[in-house]
Amino acid sequence: MINIQTQLPVREHLKLHIEPIRPEKDKDYTRLDRIIFGDNQFFGINHMSNEKAQSMAARFKDSESIIRVIDIAYNAGIHAFMFNTHDRVKEVCDHFRAYPEKYSNLSLYPSMPYAHKYANAVNENGMLGALNEFIFSGRSTKQAINTIIQGGKSLIKRDMIEVMKLLVDAEMRMFQGLRVKAIFLQNIVTDLLLGLGSREVFIEFVRHIEMTYGVEAAFNTMNMPALVDFLLDCGIENPIVCSGINKKGFLMTPSQREYEQALVEKPFRALAMSILASGDIPPNEAIEYVCKLPNIRSIVFGASTKEHIIDTRNMIYSYWGETEDIT
Amino acid sequence: MIKGAVVGFGRMGITHYSILNRHPQVNLVAVCDSSNFVRNNVAKYLNVETYNDYHKMFGEIKPDFVIAAVPTAMHMDVVKSAILNNAHVFVEKPFTLNSNQAHEILDLLKGKNLVHQVGYVARFSDIFKKVKELMDQKILGELYTFKMEMNGPTVLNGAKKSWRSNKNKGGGCLYDFASHSIDLVNYFIGPPDNIVGTVFKSIFSSNVEDSVSSTFIYKQGLRGNLIVNWSDSSYRKPTYNFEVLGKEGKIIANLRTLKIFFNKAPDIKEYTQGWNIQHFPSLAQPVRFFVRGFEFTRQSDYFINCILNNRPCEVCSFYDGFKTDTIIEKIRADSTRCYN
Repeated sequence: MINIQTQLPVREHLKLHIEPIRPEKDKDYTRLDRIIFGDNQFFGINHMSNEKAQSMAARFKDSESIIRVIDIAYNAGIHAFMFNTHDRVKEVCDHFRAYPEKYSNLSLYPSMPYAHKYANAVNENGMLGALNEFIFSGRSTKQAINTIIQGGKSLIKRDMIEVMKLLVDAEMRMFQGLRVKAIFLQNIVTDLLLGLGSREVFIEFVRHIEMTYGVEAAFNTMNMPALVDFLLDCGIENPIVCSGINKKGFLMTPSQREYEQALVEKPFRALAMSILASGDIPPNEAIEYVCKLPNIRSIVFGASTKEHIIDTRNMIYSYWGETEDIT
Repeated sequence: MIKGAVVGFGRMGITHYSILNRHPQVNLVAVCDSSNFVRNNVAKYLNVETYNDYHKMFGEIKPDFVIAAVPTAMHMDVVKSAILNNAHVFVEKPFTLNSNQAHEILDLLKGKNLVHQVGYVARFSDIFKKVKELMDQKILGELYTFKMEMNGPTVLNGAKKSWRSNKNKGGGCLYDFASHSIDLVNYFIGPPDNIVGTVFKSIFSSNVEDSVSSTFIYKQGLRGNLIVNWSDSSYRKPTYNFEVLGKEGKIIANLRTLKIFFNKAPDIKEYTQGWNIQHFPSLAQPVRFFVRGFEFTRQSDYFINCILNNRPCEVCSFYDGFKTDTIIEKIRADSTRCYN
């Protein structure tokens, strides 16, 4: 949460329907779910092998197969999901909206943007062409004109932060009407911006998320210790930061030791992902390591079979002392 | 501290800036870009000077080094200007549009103690570094055949707004995409003695080729196939597949997995007879700051270390860039022959 000096009105037309939040002045108002189900396995992302990634992409080529696995997790008591703003997620969100009673306990943690769709659009249309495409894609002329009117001044002035806000709003459209707990900036963008070192962009992202959607902004990163220092330096208090954390030190930049030190010393809320290092660490060993670290609020994991989902869930609870057998 | 300037603030320019801006011994002081939108925002949000004329920028800022991340057709002019201003220079791939340009730059470098590097970033990936190490040790003995494939979903419609779809600016699959895989062949095996059977094919683009296939012939009997396609929607992102067969065994490599087959027990302790498989997580070496992949930081830091330690770049110098340019030129020449 950021210290906001001027209280701006929430933009009602964009606000998502969410549960009552934020007891006043509570710096930890988002109750993060302890287990969050991730989505890399659905979109052919695997650090271990291209074949594995391809076979997962084949298995999850339609949204029904994704929803089947989501339902297994949901029925196993995992009600929280982190979704990249992949085109396919739109269909999954449509499904959630169609069955509100079935998913009454659902909480979503969108992570945006899905970087590859931007990268390809930039290749094809150049930077400005790509921005235009994403801001106005899938919208009626009337909506596009409204966006131009709302953001028109900024587009004429060509201010990157205003463009960023329009992109966030474009990405958030797919989650309309669903309960969102925190909105993550995806790691490639977070880390690029961290390198650029512009505080204003981070501060304005946080402010925009809080003001427009009434939830906390959060960050995915591959550089957790450096990012946490930077966010604290920006005045973003007790930030929510999700990063790869695993026993082998895989994807922990600059080092596992600095990650462990940051968890002990820095005031932030840590989420751990890549806990198995793409399958390089046996599950029990991997989960024991992460669960025994201090200050881990949540574990984000992805799996595609009932057995793996329930085993992982039970292992996490066995270390965190929240045993609840699911059969 | 060494002082740097970035020319071209597109996807690669931003990546280099982001990585170098966090280097403890680098001070980035200026960005040059032709776009008002980019310059206005860089001036507003990053703590650097902005220019739309790099000649002026080099003259005023006098950078120790320059990162040139502009369309390929502009490489020669930016690089020449940097050299004339005595700046170490890193240029994105491919080095130039033709070997005449490359010659001109190499002539200009003579007698100057400048570090120069071309951005063939795949050379810095954990798995391809390992492949290079094994190839240099000649673990496969005499080589028979190889295959270098590179496929990706980079161009999936006929949009023409980017320089990447303009042949005169260095667009097209050969220069902009296949150059990486051609450079890897150059890195692992060396330049071919002859190139035959080249076929270019446009799939979505009207002005440039979207796929390239070619056969590389080497005097000692080795031959290899290059198969590249940047309009393949079955891939999530650009993907390499390299396979080489020799007298002693075989290597199959991509950015995620390294597979090595030995006909008999090899001399290297790390491996045994038959298949050996290593995955990326077990080969990945950490870097100081991670943006988009380990290899980008490793590439940038190698360049900076060469400057700081006053030693020439050995992994991907302009000479290597020139060799790859020469192969690209031969492929282009061969593509005009009729194989139908």
